[in-house]
Amino acid sequence: MTARNLKPDIFAIGAIDWHRTTFDALVPLPHGTSYNSYLVMGSEKTALIDTVEPDKWDELLQNIKETPVKTIDYLISLHSEQDHSGCIPKILELHPEAQILTSPKGKEQLQLLLHLPDDKLRVMADGETLSLGNKTLTFMHAPWVHWPDNMFCHVAEDKVLFTNDFLGAHLATDKLIVTDKDEVYSEAKRYFAEIMMPYRAQAARHLERVKTLDLDLIAPSHGPVFTKPFWILNAYQEWTADQTKNELVIAYVSMHESTRLMANYFATKLTAAGITVHTYDLAKVDVGELAIALVDATTLLIGASAVVQTAHPVAVYATALINVLRPKLSHYGIFGSFGWAAKIPEQLTGLLPSLAKAEQLPPLMVKGLPKEEDYGEMDGLVEIIVKKHGEKRLMV
Amino acid sequence: MPIVNDKAFNLNQFQCNQCDFIYDPALGDPTGGIAPGTPFAMIPDTWVCPDCGATKADFIEIKPGS
Repeated sequence: MTARNLKPDIFAIGAIDWHRTTFDALVPLPHGTSYNSYLVMGSEKTALIDTVEPDKWDELLQNIKETPVKTIDYLISLHSEQDHSGCIPKILELHPEAQILTSPKGKEQLQLLLHLPDDKLRVMADGETLSLGNKTLTFMHAPWVHWPDNMFCHVAEDKVLFTNDFLGAHLATDKLIVTDKDEVYSEAKRYFAEIMMPYRAQAARHLERVKTLDLDLIAPSHGPVFTKPFWILNAYQEWTADQTKNELVIAYVSMHESTRLMANYFATKLTAAGITVHTYDLAKVDVGELAIALVDATTLLIGASAVVQTAHPVAVYATALINVLRPKLSHYGIFGSFGWAAKIPEQLTGLLPSLAKAEQLPPLMVKGLPKEEDYGEMDGLVEIIVKKHGEKRLMV
Repeated sequence: MPIVNDKAFNLNQFQCNQCDFIYDPALGDPTGGIAPGTPFAMIPDTWVCPDCGATKADFIEIKPGS
């Protein structure tokens, strides 16, 4: 992608990664991603905000060359993760005059991850300002969206806020600015679910601060830039709120159909009772889809067959991932089938310390293929769940 | 009961059992939204360790003299 004007003397110079399929060796990227980097050219000084993944260096360099910028005085690292910081050493080779501006935690992280020299790094305090001449930068500490080091950078004169990962989306698109909400919404929600949900209270706090600013543009480090009206702020408001919806997630893995029969039975009965059910076969699922569903869900049912004496490893993996994501569930339950010994509910519950505040439903383990009395027990669990959703005034 | 035993006035430090960060009520955690002078018990449950992101439940009280 070429260098593009975002505002007078503010250029978007990032790289688009059309074909990347996974991030952090963990989450699928169905629509690629972008690493957004910005040049802010003041009348006196110029600042580069974040860089790109090291393998996109050539693209970043080419884009910088397309701008009138010759000198980079400040290299602002809003977040030290390598998809943003990875090209800092190369920039320093070309622009040894540049000073790196970062948060206190960012300094620690940049030294750990990139072995940057101490004298190149300048720590910016929360609320500290820096003049580029006719443009003024204000730095805002925003820990835990996504690491402890995250910062925002506000350009008051242009009403632009650079938020790094916060409000971003993994989406490769040739559009610099979002014009169609539908194009970005689900990728922004996926990004929230995977990156922000574990720290939604922190995200909510930073959101309130963003809302107090007079802004024309919000420019994150992944995906397109937002313009007014800022629907993304309302979306984050909803996603970070404590309120859940009348929705239930069934995440299961089945070896010989018994657990699948149970999952399907629960889905049918709960849907009939008026609850929106999202069912995922963990052997096939895109875990991002599961994460998205967990943003709104009130209840989670994890289903697992037994392998040897333990829960199926695919269910163990998904359960560990759910624990990391810290969804705002009110209730969760474990079900499944086994042949002989199986302590599946105890095992999986032990993997969910972050759901300590959620109420655990009675576990339901079936020996072999579900029998009539097992279906009776399943009806009992459905009744409990419907009652719980009713008590939370979710049923309409 | 002497008032110093009341949780809301307990100014003991608490340590994160994940990364050993020490929460000092005198300093608070301004970047985490916690003002200096806030006793540990008065921090919201949604607060996290500023160093490692562990939850409030992961903190253990450091009792003076222990």
